[in-house]
Amino acid sequence: MTKKKRGHPDIEEILARPWCYYCERDFDDLKILINHQKAKHFKCDRCGRRLNTAGGLNVHMNQVHKENLTAIENALPNRAGLDVEIFGMEGIPEDIVQQHNQRVLTNYHQGEAERRAATGNPASGIASNNAVKKPKFESPSDLKKRLAEHKAAKLAAEQNGEGSSGASTPIVGQAQPAAVQPSTQVASPTYPPYQQSYAPPPSSTTFSAPTTYNQQPALPYQPPGYGTPPTGYAQSPPPQQPPYGQPPQPYQPLYAQPPQPSFQQPPYPTPNAFSPPPYQGQPPFPNQPYQSQVPQNGYSGQVGAPRAYASASPASPFPHQQRTHSPAQNGLPQRSGSGSLPTAPGLPQRPAVSAPPVNAAQFQQMHQGQILVQHNFAAQSQPQPHPIPSSNEYNPAAPYVGMPRSLSNEATAASSIDDLISSASKQADANAAANVPKAATPKPTTPVPPAAKDEPADDKAAKKDKDKAAKATRLVYSDNEISPEEKMAAMPKYAFMPSQKTVQV
Amino acid sequence: MSNQYEVSEPPTDAISAIRFSPYADSHKFVVASWDKFAYLYEISDNKQCTLLNRFEHRAPVLDACFGKDDNEIFTACLDCDVRRIDVATSTQDVLSTHDAGVRSVAYSKEHSLLISAAWDSTLHIHPTSADAEWSTATITLPSKPFSLSMSPSKLVVAMSNRALHIYELSTLAEECKNTANALQNRLDIEPWQRRESSLKFMTRAVDCMPNDEGYASSSIEGRVAVEWFDPSTESQARKYAFKCHRQPEGEVDVVYPVNAIAFHPIHGTFATGGGDGVVAIWDAIAKRRIRIYPKLASSIAAMSFTSNGKILATAISPGFEDGKEDMAEGSVAILIRELGENEVKRKAK
Repeated sequence: MTKKKRGHPDIEEILARPWCYYCERDFDDLKILINHQKAKHFKCDRCGRRLNTAGGLNVHMNQVHKENLTAIENALPNRAGLDVEIFGMEGIPEDIVQQHNQRVLTNYHQGEAERRAATGNPASGIASNNAVKKPKFESPSDLKKRLAEHKAAKLAAEQNGEGSSGASTPIVGQAQPAAVQPSTQVASPTYPPYQQSYAPPPSSTTFSAPTTYNQQPALPYQPPGYGTPPTGYAQSPPPQQPPYGQPPQPYQPLYAQPPQPSFQQPPYPTPNAFSPPPYQGQPPFPNQPYQSQVPQNGYSGQVGAPRAYASASPASPFPHQQRTHSPAQNGLPQRSGSGSLPTAPGLPQRPAVSAPPVNAAQFQQMHQGQILVQHNFAAQSQPQPHPIPSSNEYNPAAPYVGMPRSLSNEATAASSIDDLISSASKQADANAAANVPKAATPKPTTPVPPAAKDEPADDKAAKKDKDKAAKATRLVYSDNEISPEEKMAAMPKYAFMPSQKTVQV
Repeated sequence: MSNQYEVSEPPTDAISAIRFSPYADSHKFVVASWDKFAYLYEISDNKQCTLLNRFEHRAPVLDACFGKDDNEIFTACLDCDVRRIDVATSTQDVLSTHDAGVRSVAYSKEHSLLISAAWDSTLHIHPTSADAEWSTATITLPSKPFSLSMSPSKLVVAMSNRALHIYELSTLAEECKNTANALQNRLDIEPWQRRESSLKFMTRAVDCMPNDEGYASSSIEGRVAVEWFDPSTESQARKYAFKCHRQPEGEVDVVYPVNAIAFHPIHGTFATGGGDGVVAIWDAIAKRRIRIYPKLASSIAAMSFTSNGKILATAISPGFEDGKEDMAEGSVAILIRELGENEVKRKAK
């Protein structure tokens, strides 16, 4: 009903898609998946009958053709076994499901990162953003001020006890977002209105101030452990405001208040509260240029990723998202890599000046604050991150939500599956490519029957083509005069030595 | 599958022929191989196949068949010799020597004749009974013979240039006796029938129906023709040919030669074995395929049914294909398949 025109789907949408155990392909609909399995994996290669399951095919092969089924056709090498009974999404072993989810996640993040890299990094932020951003970062006094504040905050944090501030505030601050998120996402069609309702209250003027604060104070909060998201967000608001105006801000008032008490300085807590919004902020603005989000995304992705994973587990949003999801989105980023971002070229070009200084400055600051953050920045600063590194890039963020190392560990496993899939698809492509010329060449050679039939219907023409193709044949042995045995006999190794003959006779 | 197993000691090189003993209750079979040996195997009841003996030749053995009993084997060798092997003593006698490699041998127990065909375009007819008053007779053929098959009364010789001769064995035996002392034992005999193969490509194999009514021939172009001996127009109208042993690859059909044909001695159905490694069972009368077996590791080289029709032996070897200097790598094996009661039986209508 509502427009879902974004080229890249939510992570939940991707995770919710039914996928095929045998080839890891995903589908819009369970029905399509089942049809796919019947056609690709459970089809008898002798008689073309489509069975429902591997077991069924095995029985069929045994009874009808007296054959044993040893492997599932068209399956990934490690999935070709008959031991698991698969029907649609049923019967997939739990560990494989986990693996698949991990893989999807990594792909998603990777795609996100690439999108960011392709759209944002080369020229981050729109000119206006930069105008706002740049002077602030460039002024040494600001930097110093921030540094001082950061140090003060760090000290304060240490005094407060890192864990307590880090743990308590987020719980307060995030409890709400967490609660809000699932519901909003389930109701994603109605989401935009929801936002709008919040949009009015915060006027850009009132909150333009906070954002400026955020940028400077953001650092102090890194130590507590939630530093990363805030800083990212702190930067992003300025660029965001011009393009979006309303969206980012609605959340500021919302979340700004609860966290405040937990921190000594009122403006600072907001970052914590904002950590969720960036993630939420993405979905509602599908058509907005990526660039504006870019700085934000750098962090929102991190924050959003774990959150997304956590929220994905409830599975409630799945059915809803299936509908809205379009098939192509998922495949593109993971296979073709950086080149797969169709939106990038169409975007307005932005001055490349702004981003680097920002990043560098922040990088420096982050460096003092938290290593994790620095890591993120390093990754972000590389325009085209390598697939695996980029996926790892998010791991640092994961701990926030409590998905600690498992991500990084499984990332490698997932990437290996990726390899399998990509190689399989490549092979398929190669096969297809090989077939095409073959198919093309014989046609001319076969004598084209005089066009006796007048304009046949389309299907008739197709059938005719088929017949013609069927006539194209290739003899494995085509020498019509000399038999294979004679040729073999002429081979040196079978040569008969007459000398032996004389000896014997 | 459990009812199919491999012979444990297969020949070390490509197999050229496999032939079961035609005698009742015998489960012996002889195998001719390019490794210069002829092998004699026996299948025992408990699914064991043992190598009884093997006989060395000077050159690759291209064909082999049993003689008057399981103790007598004839072989066709690339060294131009036709040999008789006494199994008990392992002694070999050279019956005759052609001017080129000998492609096939066939023995008629009804007439005690051994007929060999060689690439010098000749047939040699050997008397095998000790009291024969004549020695080997030679028939000159118009082309190189590629395959030989014998029914109780007929001899079918398939040659290059799509030529095909059908001889009556009784006439041959008679003529041989009459011209026993003719010059050089040349036999100038007109075949009972001269035919042109109904297939457009080189004939690969031919086998006669056990009921003596006709024969089936196959070509290198994945096609099999079934024809009847009876020259009457009604019978000739019954002949037909069909395509088989083809595999679509993309939009091109890859066509494999049909290397072997074997009629079932009881049911009258026949098996074809192709270069694609597939064995198919056909009903010649109903023009139906009864069964197709899973693709084997390499090209089917030869096939044979036991006399009681309960076992099918299939020899596989790497095929000699177009554009290959050398023979393709591939496994050489002999597969013994115990046939179920109705496995190759013609289906009731």
